[in-house]
Amino acid sequence: MKKQLLFLLTIVALLAGCSTDAAKDSVGPGTGTGGSMARFTIIGNYLYVVNHANLVVYDIAQINTPVNVNKVALDAGVETIFPFRNHLMIGTQTGMLVYNLNDPAKPQMTSRYSHILSCDPVVAQGSYAYVTLRSGTACRNGANLLDILDISNMAAPRLVKSYPMSNPHGLGIDGNLLFVTEGDFGLKVFDATNPTDLKLVETFRDIRSFDVIPINKVLIVTGKDGIYQYSYSDPTKLKLLSHLPVE
Amino acid sequence: MVLNQVTLYDFPITNQVMKHTLQLPSLTQIGSLLGLVALTGCYPQNTEPSGPVQGLRPVYAPMETVRKVEILPPQPLKQPGKIYVKDAFLFINEQNKGLHVVNNVNPEKPVKLAFIAIPGNTDMAVKGSILYANNITDLVALDISNLQQIQVTKRLENMFPYIAYPAERGVRFECADPSKGVVIRWEQAQLTNPKCYR
Repeated sequence: MKKQLLFLLTIVALLAGCSTDAAKDSVGPGTGTGGSMARFTIIGNYLYVVNHANLVVYDIAQINTPVNVNKVALDAGVETIFPFRNHLMIGTQTGMLVYNLNDPAKPQMTSRYSHILSCDPVVAQGSYAYVTLRSGTACRNGANLLDILDISNMAAPRLVKSYPMSNPHGLGIDGNLLFVTEGDFGLKVFDATNPTDLKLVETFRDIRSFDVIPINKVLIVTGKDGIYQYSYSDPTKLKLLSHLPVE
Repeated sequence: MVLNQVTLYDFPITNQVMKHTLQLPSLTQIGSLLGLVALTGCYPQNTEPSGPVQGLRPVYAPMETVRKVEILPPQPLKQPGKIYVKDAFLFINEQNKGLHVVNNVNPEKPVKLAFIAIPGNTDMAVKGSILYANNITDLVALDISNLQQIQVTKRLENMFPYIAYPAERGVRFECADPSKGVVIRWEQAQLTNPKCYR
């Protein structure tokens, strides 16, 4: 009797698993995707959190019971963390830190790329890292730049090109398209086929933007004006899909 | 040297650092600031004490009242912060308030499903059905497999620094006092001789 019940339950579970509606409305087993301004990121069985001057490591092998297993002191002014090829790319106010996860519970520094005092998230794809540098208040010694770093050797990031920006915040890259949020100055879309020769595709001046996530050909933009979503199936022209306004 | 003096103002994270960085500058620091003025023509206003001034005052809440997570019906988007995508869900941070949970299976018609109220929240990440979020000074793990019954499965206390300063820059403010609770917001006020500046 017990066996039959188990069998029946298995069938029900399998059927439920096949239903597309259930798949859409429930959360799957994997890890999600954050934006470039994130201070949390998950790689494998570990959650990495940066807060100001530390990198804190949590073991989440038992996902509902995180365990704090390590705390790595970093320079002051840590802002963002981005996962890339078994490394953590950490954006700080003085540069980009690369930590390797050869031992995922004990991140070790691989390299440091220093720049002038500024605010800067980082994303990476292929052999390049894209770092925005933003000036703060008038008294801060920042610049407004997009730096392209060659990271084919993670141990020695090398600046290959620097582009002037207005007030860059978060950024995202997918394939050939690079999206840079420019705060109150809008959103810029670049063709990054050749990262050392970016071509401006489009500027959305009216969208005050703070961060982006490009995923499955949909660009999700967050900022003071709410959430905008664009299709970039056609890389030459973004198409507005929806806008969740602030109320 | 000058740069170091200026940046110190920006990082009042630990209480120990706070004592050294948020108080009004010493004579040597003022000397450095003068150097900065000479270099940039730009300097922090009103660093000298001088009667009542406009500034920011912390509004406190007892720690026990903010160490909580609540599930609410969809709420208006006011100050969107960071975003996070997990399967068909889009999580939108409402700065320092919590997370809007949006069904984004059709990006042409995103539908707000619920709001997870998490005081002090700014960041999140999801693995499987567990959402990790900062709640004031704590890290919380939430089971989101049933949006109507979100459960805190684990709370790790004091993993994040006590926030002792406002987000604004170039402001004078009343120094936050951890013994009074956590700062849930900053309000404009007439302050007498405020000791903190950022």
